[in-house]
Amino acid sequence: MNTVQSLPLLQNALTVGAILFSLGLVGILTRRNLIVMFLAAEMMLQGISVSLVAWSRFHGDWGGHVLVIFVLTVAACEAAVALVFVLQAFSRTGRLDAAAWQSLREATITRTVDQEVPSIDTVPYRFPTLTPAGVLPPPDDNEPFERRHV
Amino acid sequence: MQEFSLSTLLVLVPLLPLLGAIFTVLLGRTLGAKAHLPAMLGIAGAAVVAITLLAATARDVGPARGDHAEPVRPVEMISTLWQWASFESAYTPPAGSPAADPRLTPADLVAGKDVRAFSIPVALRLDPLTATMLTIITCVGLLVAIYSTGYMHGDPGYPRFFALVAMFVFSMSMLVAASNFLLVYVFWEAVGACSYLLIGFWFTKPQAARAAKKAFLVNRVGDFGLAIAVFLLWMTYGTLDFHDTISADGVIMPGILGQTRLADAAGYVGGAIGTAICLLLLLAACGKSAQLPLHVWLPDAMEGPTPASALIHAATMVTAGIYLITRSAPLFAACPGALTLVSIIGATTALVAALIGTVQNDLKRVLAYSTISQLGYMFASLGTGTLLGFTAAIFHLLTHACFKALLFLGAGSVMHSMGGVIDMRRFGGLRRVMPITAATFLVGASALAGVAPFAGFFSKDEILAALHSKAWPEPHGGHHASIPSAALPPSLPPTFQGAASHFHASSFSPTASAPDGSMAPESTSSLNALDSLNRPETWQVLFWMSLVTAGLTAFYTFRAVFMTFTGPTRVPDGAHGHGHDGHESYESPSAMTLPLMILAVPSAMIGWLLFSTNWLAHFLSATPSLTATSVAATATPHVFHINLAIQGTLAAAIGIVVAAIGHLGRRSDGPQLERFLGPVQTLFANTFYFDQIYAALVVRPLEGLALVAALFDRYVIDGAVDAIAAAPLALGGIVRRSQSGLLQRYALAGVMGVLAIVVLLAWQLRG
Amino acid sequence: MSPLAFDPFASGTLLAGGVMATAASLWLLLPSGRETGAVRWLGGLLGLVALAAFIATGRRLGGLGEEAVFLIVSLVAVLSAAATIVSRSPVYAAIWFALSLAGVAGVLLVLGAQFLGVATIVVYAGAILVMFLFVLMLAQPAGLAPYDRVSNEPFLSAVAGAVLLGVLSLSIGRLSASPAACCGVPSRTAATPIAPLQPGAAVSENRVPETAAPASRAPETAVDPLADNHVARLGGELFGRHLVAVEAAGVLLLVALIGAIAVVSRGEAAHAGVATSTAGPAAGGRAV
Repeated sequence: MNTVQSLPLLQNALTVGAILFSLGLVGILTRRNLIVMFLAAEMMLQGISVSLVAWSRFHGDWGGHVLVIFVLTVAACEAAVALVFVLQAFSRTGRLDAAAWQSLREATITRTVDQEVPSIDTVPYRFPTLTPAGVLPPPDDNEPFERRHV
Repeated sequence: MQEFSLSTLLVLVPLLPLLGAIFTVLLGRTLGAKAHLPAMLGIAGAAVVAITLLAATARDVGPARGDHAEPVRPVEMISTLWQWASFESAYTPPAGSPAADPRLTPADLVAGKDVRAFSIPVALRLDPLTATMLTIITCVGLLVAIYSTGYMHGDPGYPRFFALVAMFVFSMSMLVAASNFLLVYVFWEAVGACSYLLIGFWFTKPQAARAAKKAFLVNRVGDFGLAIAVFLLWMTYGTLDFHDTISADGVIMPGILGQTRLADAAGYVGGAIGTAICLLLLLAACGKSAQLPLHVWLPDAMEGPTPASALIHAATMVTAGIYLITRSAPLFAACPGALTLVSIIGATTALVAALIGTVQNDLKRVLAYSTISQLGYMFASLGTGTLLGFTAAIFHLLTHACFKALLFLGAGSVMHSMGGVIDMRRFGGLRRVMPITAATFLVGASALAGVAPFAGFFSKDEILAALHSKAWPEPHGGHHASIPSAALPPSLPPTFQGAASHFHASSFSPTASAPDGSMAPESTSSLNALDSLNRPETWQVLFWMSLVTAGLTAFYTFRAVFMTFTGPTRVPDGAHGHGHDGHESYESPSAMTLPLMILAVPSAMIGWLLFSTNWLAHFLSATPSLTATSVAATATPHVFHINLAIQGTLAAAIGIVVAAIGHLGRRSDGPQLERFLGPVQTLFANTFYFDQIYAALVVRPLEGLALVAALFDRYVIDGAVDAIAAAPLALGGIVRRSQSGLLQRYALAGVMGVLAIVVLLAWQLRG
Repeated sequence: MSPLAFDPFASGTLLAGGVMATAASLWLLLPSGRETGAVRWLGGLLGLVALAAFIATGRRLGGLGEEAVFLIVSLVAVLSAAATIVSRSPVYAAIWFALSLAGVAGVLLVLGAQFLGVATIVVYAGAILVMFLFVLMLAQPAGLAPYDRVSNEPFLSAVAGAVLLGVLSLSIGRLSASPAACCGVPSRTAATPIAPLQPGAAVSENRVPETAAPASRAPETAVDPLADNHVARLGGELFGRHLVAVEAAGVLLLVALIGAIAVVSRGEAAHAGVATSTAGPAAGGRAV
């Protein structure tokens, strides 16, 4: 049993929990995609859970475990309801962008529009092709689409 | 019982018009065309009571005695209504002032033994001067009220006019009946306010509003003088009452014009303080009576309704200055320099106003300048300082009230018939179409010009006699006999006799000098200059000026008469004519012609009546102010100066003849005599540029100051306030930019706030 | 505070360095316009440096095995968490999150929370994460959307997160087994072996009311999560002491379920109303 080093265990576990919490915080503040924001929020809850269990282990107490169970429950409810709202928001604006909703701004402020969105140098993926051998079959109008490459 | 009923009657004289005014204000709208009834009934009642009081006072004075061996005893009745202001232990009079109790040593005064109270009782007095003034005010007021029912008929402000007239009669009655200088000041202001309201009666007309403002502001200058004079009187004499009062412990507090002080030859302060008081009172009188240099408001005051002009600016309000100086006769008699200045101002004003009046084409303006001129006559007479001078001034005041009111009401009748036109060049020959007005106007004009035997002749003659006696003093005469101060009027009760010797201005300032010109030795240089004017040569110049003015008066009066009533009959368009039996008549309704006829009677008769019996002079000499030893000592026997009468009549005749040459029978818009005057005529026509000088000296600098103040207010003060308001706005504008509507930025702000708190807590708990 | 065998000043610089490295790495790694490969490599390097600093400030756990196990699972959790928030594609972020959940479950198991470790995997990775993936499938545009490629205030957020992490680490470093009287936290004075509790007595013992006294708990009422019938005892605690809360949580789940359905159906009705109102005004449907 890890009771002899219970304080160092506590401290290490708390450190892990703190790191998870901080990363989750940064994620919420930074990422614009609503789903990624929720993922980061769940990560914060993970960090909290780790901390609670660590304390519970340290004190020899069930309180932390119980609270984590409730956190789990509430997180599930929250995720369900929030995702419904995210879908509603998506149906209105067509995007999952957190910056799509700016109606709370002052009347004298103009809408913030993304500047300098970095472009993706998307190189169209080249699928492997076989060298065509033989005669190409005649084009068939019943085909829904043409096969360009194998 | 007799005293009780007399004091009740005295209270009724101002009270009835006041009630009339109040009822007119309350019921004016409901009464409609009868809105004149409360005011007219009030003034009529007051007139009846005033005549009763006059009779009672005359009975108290007793008949005129042929000899002047024993002086006339003063007649007065004081009735105190209530105590208006009373402060115990208000002050301690300085040692040596006339107010100090000479029984106390200076050490006692320093120790605070002589502590006086400041009390202003609302006290009315009845004496010959007051009775005379009350009769004039109420009777002329009644006639003007009757006249106004015709003149103001149909005016939308009909009730307001009568309320104002009644209010004015109340204020003027209280002014002449008050027995306290502070009360006089209060009602001085009140008549000024009524004058402002009546001049600006048609306030929607810009000239009327401007004229009312000008009148009030110019009067204000005079009122300032009166206020300072009241302060100085209080400081010098320790009381503001006219009459003597007896305090609770039996100590007599002598009033400024009370019988104890009047009997004391050294009771009045001369020198610097006394002259200052007299000059300030003179300033107030100049303001109210439109003398140089404060005369500029009276011609513009003709913008008001003509009955108001007749009442206020001819008969009563402008005579308030005369009343004040007459009432303060003992004060003036102690400062001969001030008296001379009064005469100089009066005579100069008379001459200048007469010159300006010769070239006026507006009938009311002619009468206005004539009023200023006649008031100047009265001032000239007052300034002689003799009993004859004072009584002559009041005599002229009485006759002037009659004939000037008559002339103004006649001018109003003409204006009313001519549809508001009063420029004499636009009508003429009106005697054929307005016979009653023409006849009464002629009577008034003759009285004004001093044509014997109309009223003005006798009063003007008396004034000339007063001036003459100062200009060429006789080597012997009754007015040089000085009554020793120990000889008191025998009718004073013994207590007064004993107490009077305790109060006199022993060491406060140089004592009063004899009234005929010996100089006070310790005066300052300016006082010296003032006193040095009191020479016979000065009086001679003033006498000749007055004589010339008499001629000019006759000239411009009859010029106006001839231009208006003689010549071919011309009537302007818009005149109110009503034809009957084939002959167009423009005569005014009987409500207006009746007062004209009533006033014509005293204008014709009263001068001869009062002069031949010498009743008025004898009656007025019983006024306490005029029984002061310094004034009563100048009494002269009553004679008819035939040489002065001849000079006066000659001057008047020359004036009438010149006017006849120029205007009798001619068209009023034809060439006028004034074209012979050349550039001088422009000077007269522009009223000696007084208005322009005042505008440049006073009005423009004040307007500049007002502009500076307005700019300061708008840019500095408002700018500061706006800057204070702009600061939060700017701050808000900066802060507002953080409200971008982006949720994550809000969350970031929240997180940073939480972090700040957490870091702070960690820092606090680090130890 | 009575310090342990731990000197705050020695690891102070480590901590500060770790914090700054964390901030810099996050700033560099978060999606923005300057994403060349070199920048990402530099960010990763700085992240590893920060991680090393935090590990160096960690505590010795006793045996090497225990240390290794703990280090591995915590590294998995932390690195996956970092990858979650810096991935540009949200799908990748979800997958990384799943891996992070696995790491967290491992940490929980190391701490002795057997039920919770498994529950985390089951509920989070099994249910919630799948829901997220479904939504992404429905709503995510093909390719990377523009809003996935930029971040909102990366610098300030990275600094805020790093400062928070630093303060938390500092406070964690100051914990002690016997705190001062001011803090009043119930704690165990020293490590004492716990006797395994009887199953029958589990229910009654767990009914002992908790006291908030500053004195440490009596050892015999302490709970050892590593003992047998962990789940049974946890269940006994839940349905014993926290029965009302459990029932309330059940109601909450029901309410959330109903609410989600209600919101969805209203949204669908609104959509239908919009579609049919264009057809004709006589058609029913709520106005949007």
